[in-house]
Amino acid sequence: MRRQHIAPSLWGMPQHSFDGFAGPGEPGGAPAPPEAALASGAALLDDPAEWPAFGRPLTEPATAAPSPDGAEGAVPGPPAPGPWESHVVLLGMHCAACALTIEEALRAVPGVAAADVSAATQRARVVWNPAQVRPSGWIGAVQAAGYRALPALDAFAREHRQREQRRALWRWLVAGFCMMQVMMYAWPAYQAMPGDLSLEMERLLRWASWVISLPVMLFACGPFFASAARDLRQRRIGMDLPVALGIAITFAVSTAGTFDPAGLFGREVYFDSLTMFVFFLLTGRWLELRLRGRTAGALEAVMNRLPDSVERRGPNGVFTRIATRRLAVGDTVRVLPGEAFPGDGRITCGSTQADEALLTGESTPVARPLGSTVAAGSYNLRAAVEVRIDGLGRDTRFGQIVALMESASLQKPRLAQLADRIARPFLGAVLLAAGLAAAWWWPSDPSHALMVAVAVLIVTCPCALSLATPVALLTASGTLARHGVLVRRLQALEAVAGVDTIAFDKTGTLTQGGLGLGRIEPAPEGGLTADQALSLAAALARHSLHPASRAIVLAAGPLAAAASGVRLADVQERPGSGLQAREADGALLKLGSARHAGVAAEPGAVPAVVLSRQRVRADGTLAAPESLARFALTEALRPEAAGVVADLRRAGVRVLLLSGDRDAAVQRVAQAAGICEAWGDCTPDDKLQRLQALQAQGRTVAMVGDGLNDGPVLAGAHVSFAFGRAVPLARARSDFVVPGEHLGQVAQTLLLARRATAVVRQNLAWAAGYNALCVPLAVAGCMPAWLAGLGMAASSLLVVLNASRLVRWSGEGLPCAVSAPVVADGSPPQPTGLRPAGEGA
Amino acid sequence: MDILYLLIPLSVVLVLAVLAGLWWAVDRGQFENVDQEAERILKDG
Repeated sequence: MRRQHIAPSLWGMPQHSFDGFAGPGEPGGAPAPPEAALASGAALLDDPAEWPAFGRPLTEPATAAPSPDGAEGAVPGPPAPGPWESHVVLLGMHCAACALTIEEALRAVPGVAAADVSAATQRARVVWNPAQVRPSGWIGAVQAAGYRALPALDAFAREHRQREQRRALWRWLVAGFCMMQVMMYAWPAYQAMPGDLSLEMERLLRWASWVISLPVMLFACGPFFASAARDLRQRRIGMDLPVALGIAITFAVSTAGTFDPAGLFGREVYFDSLTMFVFFLLTGRWLELRLRGRTAGALEAVMNRLPDSVERRGPNGVFTRIATRRLAVGDTVRVLPGEAFPGDGRITCGSTQADEALLTGESTPVARPLGSTVAAGSYNLRAAVEVRIDGLGRDTRFGQIVALMESASLQKPRLAQLADRIARPFLGAVLLAAGLAAAWWWPSDPSHALMVAVAVLIVTCPCALSLATPVALLTASGTLARHGVLVRRLQALEAVAGVDTIAFDKTGTLTQGGLGLGRIEPAPEGGLTADQALSLAAALARHSLHPASRAIVLAAGPLAAAASGVRLADVQERPGSGLQAREADGALLKLGSARHAGVAAEPGAVPAVVLSRQRVRADGTLAAPESLARFALTEALRPEAAGVVADLRRAGVRVLLLSGDRDAAVQRVAQAAGICEAWGDCTPDDKLQRLQALQAQGRTVAMVGDGLNDGPVLAGAHVSFAFGRAVPLARARSDFVVPGEHLGQVAQTLLLARRATAVVRQNLAWAAGYNALCVPLAVAGCMPAWLAGLGMAASSLLVVLNASRLVRWSGEGLPCAVSAPVVADGSPPQPTGLRPAGEGA
Repeated sequence: MDILYLLIPLSVVLVLAVLAGLWWAVDRGQFENVDQEAERILKDG
């Protein structure tokens, strides 16, 4: 077989990290990389050696799937001549209609043989012919349609999960269909008067039931037997052991009844109970699997930050663009402004500023001069630098953060641990009770004795008990993830439900993280209206990532379309002072500090930027700069802040404001947001002391913060929220992360957590009450096996269904667009409501 | 009623055939995206 080049790893990540470093999602609210980097990234995918990373040739046999041995040494073979099947992640999709639009766009590309877009998973499968089109061609078509496509590098990991899900569905369908048919065969025996049914007919029906039960036993029950066997090998009692035992005994007794009616176990058969029991049990399992899958999918989207491709210096000093996964420790790469650093490393040439919000929680850019270290996943903001790579993949801080998030999603909540601890001795007691019951009844009727044992085994299955907590909490965290809140610690969901006091930090939580645009003062001599000045400034500011520029572009919102009509050439950014560009008529347009713009600075404490223009004189020289407008910059209160504070009050929560900012500013913000208790000039220690004082009064306190300063306070609170763009994942101290920048999510998390704990309590009460009622009945022999099966399955199902009420939770008041904050081309969808509230107030 | 001796075995065969059909549908991913196809008819062209 021709050796196919196998994707050895996931763009710099080790092979086994597929699940964690899932496919590219969106870079959680960070500045979008410039269009140029994207385009070159797509062009890079045209290299046939990259294709196996996110697809495979259709003509190749199944052995082309990635295997661990196909690692680095694999020789890149020539591309298979036949069509290729590739998988991409789609960003910017909102509904099923989007999926159809993308499908149409893809199918319109010549050379694309098939395109299937799934709205549910936001993924597309594209079959294309390398002879006619390259990946950049059809990825470009998706971008032209207004969406963004990234290669789905975890396609194979997902495929594995999908196979699992399909098999679970298939088991469930087999059990369900066979159950219906066995019921049909059992019906005559239910209905018949003695003598109605001839002996041959009854035997025929039993034979048919037996045949139909076989697939259920051999295939659908596979997981129970496999898990029971595993438990036995490890000499412990697992949840599936009583179930497997019950199923096996029931089938054995029924088989004996079918083939040897005169034998020891009598002539009764229980195929109907058996299949129904298995069906209900599998229903519960399948629902649980789906819920878990949904939670995992939501986490995947957040965990991708690394660039797809990077410029590496070759031995001859020339930089060439390669895939990040080909990078090795010791390589030197050039990172352009707007790109993310591919690994941890040291700057060997140039100096820049980096946005390390993801790692440190600090949203303001940090200076990274020559010789300093940079971290994977942080963004280069200012200038192109050369970086020597010291660490890649799992070894980076970013890799550790992702590992942390993964482990958080695997933690067992405290209540669930308790239930598990109870479950083990409980299971032992169940086995003992079943054995004793069988021994008690055996002398009178062995068949009845066995069925009593089966009833005890089945009816007491503690599935409901151990499902009660995790199902509810996982469902709640999945719902929250869909609404843009990430749960870092499942235990926190229990804790947050009991919160009665919430302390907010000011900067970046109640106020917007960056700057907002305040008053616009058009200069009288400039002759422009405020809107015209804003649109002109936005046209210039679009070329910069500086917070002030972002504020202007954001505020321009609806005017941005007009701004794109302004033609500017020769745009330059002077670090630390401002932007300049030439207009079509040669006039020089400047935006920045008063000194940069060349106009007299106005006295006043309010920070502002100035837009000025230098006209071209008749002799070709530039005239003196004339001021066009001043843009005052403010820290803008989030528009939803007051409403959320009121909501929290209504929910019976005391709201505080703790800030390190000047007291006057803090009181102003507090008043605007409707918070009565506010303290300014707080050091982190002060904040912590206030928090501890409240806790000493017996209050359960949640802290909402965003910055580095909040670290100890977040750790000291009972529950902590990390808010906004500054996601302090690395500090591992916040229980919830809210990257969606909407305060309402904090309130909604609280409400949903209360609902979730209520559901957990209901579930536990139900499971305990059910067992207390049914075990004595079963031991006494009053419960037929079919009723035991129904009761057990119903109790599990009820627990799962009760929890699934949390999925449908609408999140009233939550913005639905939260899950898609950033679009590829750097023009985030801008709700007009984001205009700084300070302007109107 | 003798026909039942034929019909009951026949029903067993039928069940197995239906199971095979279900397997085909599951394996082809027919149950994975049930919302989207309903909207396809609303789309022109």
